[in-house]
Amino acid sequence: MPRRVLIVDDAVFMRNMIRDILSAAGYQVVGEATHGIEAVQRHRELRPDLTTMDIVMPYKNGIEATREIVRGDPSARIVICSALGQEALVMEAIEAGAADFVVKPFRPEDVLTVVRKVLGDGPDR
Amino acid sequence: MSRYLGLFVAEALEHLEGLSRDLVELERERTPETVDSLFRHAHSVKGMAASMGLEAIATLAHRVEDLVEVLRGDGGGWDQALVDLMLEAADGMQAQVRAAAEGPPPPPPAGLLEALAAAVHARTGRPAAPTRIARTILQHTARRPEAEPPKLAVEVQVLASSHSPGVRAFLVHRKLAALGTVLSVRPSLEELRAGAIADGRISLVVALPGGPAAVRQALAEVPEVEALSIEPLAVPPGPPPEAPSPALEPAHSVRVRTELLDDFLELAGELLLATARLREMGKRLPEAHAPLVEEGVGRLYALAKEMHNRVMGARMTPLAVVTDQLPRAVRDVARRRGREVDLSVEGAEIELDRAILDVLADPLLHVLRNAIDHGIEDGPARAAAGKPPRGSIRLAVRRARDRVVIEVTDDGRGMDVEGLRAAAVAQGALTREAAGRLPDSEVLFLACHPGVSTAGDVSDISGRGVGMDAVKRAVERVGGTLELSSEPGRGTRVAFRLPLTVAVLQLLLVRAGGEVLGLPITKVLGAVEVLPAELERSNGTLAVRHGQSLLPVHGLAALLGFAEAGPRASQPLVLLEADRGPVALAVEGLLGQEEAVIKPLSRPLDQLPGLAGVTILGSGRPVFILDVPRLLA
Repeated sequence: MPRRVLIVDDAVFMRNMIRDILSAAGYQVVGEATHGIEAVQRHRELRPDLTTMDIVMPYKNGIEATREIVRGDPSARIVICSALGQEALVMEAIEAGAADFVVKPFRPEDVLTVVRKVLGDGPDR
Repeated sequence: MSRYLGLFVAEALEHLEGLSRDLVELERERTPETVDSLFRHAHSVKGMAASMGLEAIATLAHRVEDLVEVLRGDGGGWDQALVDLMLEAADGMQAQVRAAAEGPPPPPPAGLLEALAAAVHARTGRPAAPTRIARTILQHTARRPEAEPPKLAVEVQVLASSHSPGVRAFLVHRKLAALGTVLSVRPSLEELRAGAIADGRISLVVALPGGPAAVRQALAEVPEVEALSIEPLAVPPGPPPEAPSPALEPAHSVRVRTELLDDFLELAGELLLATARLREMGKRLPEAHAPLVEEGVGRLYALAKEMHNRVMGARMTPLAVVTDQLPRAVRDVARRRGREVDLSVEGAEIELDRAILDVLADPLLHVLRNAIDHGIEDGPARAAAGKPPRGSIRLAVRRARDRVVIEVTDDGRGMDVEGLRAAAVAQGALTREAAGRLPDSEVLFLACHPGVSTAGDVSDISGRGVGMDAVKRAVERVGGTLELSSEPGRGTRVAFRLPLTVAVLQLLLVRAGGEVLGLPITKVLGAVEVLPAELERSNGTLAVRHGQSLLPVHGLAALLGFAEAGPRASQPLVLLEADRGPVALAVEGLLGQEEAVIKPLSRPLDQLPGLAGVTILGSGRPVFILDVPRLLA
């Protein structure tokens, strides 16, 4: 059964790119959200195995969204997608409960390495 | 599905090996971690087999999982019969998985499912549950922490490729903090927040109930980091290990056939040689063209070298690949001989070139079998000698500079020196006088002489297959040396001293007896030129003062049987490391350094002591590479 993923990012390009990377690797992208409020709602409805989360988004940022999601579901696994230079924000997101992070611009294998590690389904497990 | 079949087979076999390993471990000591690991292996195989639609395998895995599940709650329920039964199941699944590569797997061996179900029934009083589907192992992970979790010093390296090493380090800290207590972290959290992390190295002191295994597991879940060392905290904390070895990380990987890597290495090596030849030719071009060509060739060379390094790196494989199979093998041999033996393995995370590993598997097994067959005594004999009832064999792997040492020690009766002498004489390998003159330390190596074996030695277990002579040959074939020592009544030590990799070596080229020769740079301590008057004579041999000590001087030409050049105004000396400490080699000239792709020597040249191999220089000239310690021996 493929792992179900929710993608949260305000840029359609980023969403498409992440979706392509994950779909090609056999993950099932079950939903997308374009800002933090939507992210919290969709996470509640979909209960995905993993969520990729942009930090800087309208209405509610990724850190707040992460905090709310994890409060509602402590087992939620969230991977922060940040840009270079956002280290302090990433740490804040990790403290808010994010499981790991990738730095944009990323290569497909960077994303997959992190996603697999977080889901614990690497080929050697 | 079929495109995942190869992966399924490889991965399921890994889990099944893990399962066997855990079972053997359990027989020795039952820890909750091992039981959990056992459960996970069975669980993974079940899940994988079920997703591949391989019902027969999934069913068997499921029965094993059931049994582990029952035993998890029941502290006293383990006995040897049970371990035997589960090992049988593991073997059954292995056979099924192998068969699955070709077609539908056969059903489990007759009676096995029933026996497993009966074992469950016997322990719970109720019949084994019908097949249950997914079950989470999370519910079992909450466990009473031990009274005093061990303090561990953890060294972690954030890979240079990481874009945000500070955040990575922060994540490592958080991950470990979630499992127990982080007592200290360097750099501090404040420094990490500021992104300050010199050379990517983090040092933590943690106290976790799960011990090193839990730390290793947690670090394996963090990308872009490598555990350098996880060690019980010494008081006071010792210096960091000299050659930290990366911990065994379940690397996310693509499987590549090893032959393909061999081809890559061969090609990369050839590419290096061709480039070096091109560079030599470039030197002969007219002035006007030379610099351009040189620049291009220089770049090509750098790329070829990088590629060679990468291929070499890809070939490095942790010894665990070989050693993981050994506990099971040792157990089986010991059971057949009616001996009780514990095998402990240390340092299996150390990496060696795949080519060396492949050669080692059989010799290691043979050494272990020998230890059980001829070393470890039976119960009554051990009791009479005042030894603990279970024999112990220790396999320890460690780095020693550019070498890896694999050491197998047992606490058995030691080797029979007089028996070997007698056998060598009886079998005509030595005359009685020669055997008598041979020191005990040399006599041990008679065991490596083809055809010399002590009377009554030939058991059904180690009497066939490779003998010690084959062990010695295998180790030497990959450029290693075999060490043997033994203490009567106390035990035997067999050590393989191995190079990390085959193939590329930095050479110092020297001239001696009119020939160009290569010395491996790893052995070279330095090079000096001295006036003949500076050479001292001590006890009839030449010596040179070097720092505080006086080093013996050997003429390289004389060592090789070449004619020595006449006296000279100044004498070049190469200082190098030999077995009994540093020595100075007198040569006729120092020609420079060269990176060389080593080709092993073929017969009969490989029989000459002191030659490590041959390489072809950029000029096309073949050069012998010397093994100076053996030359001096």
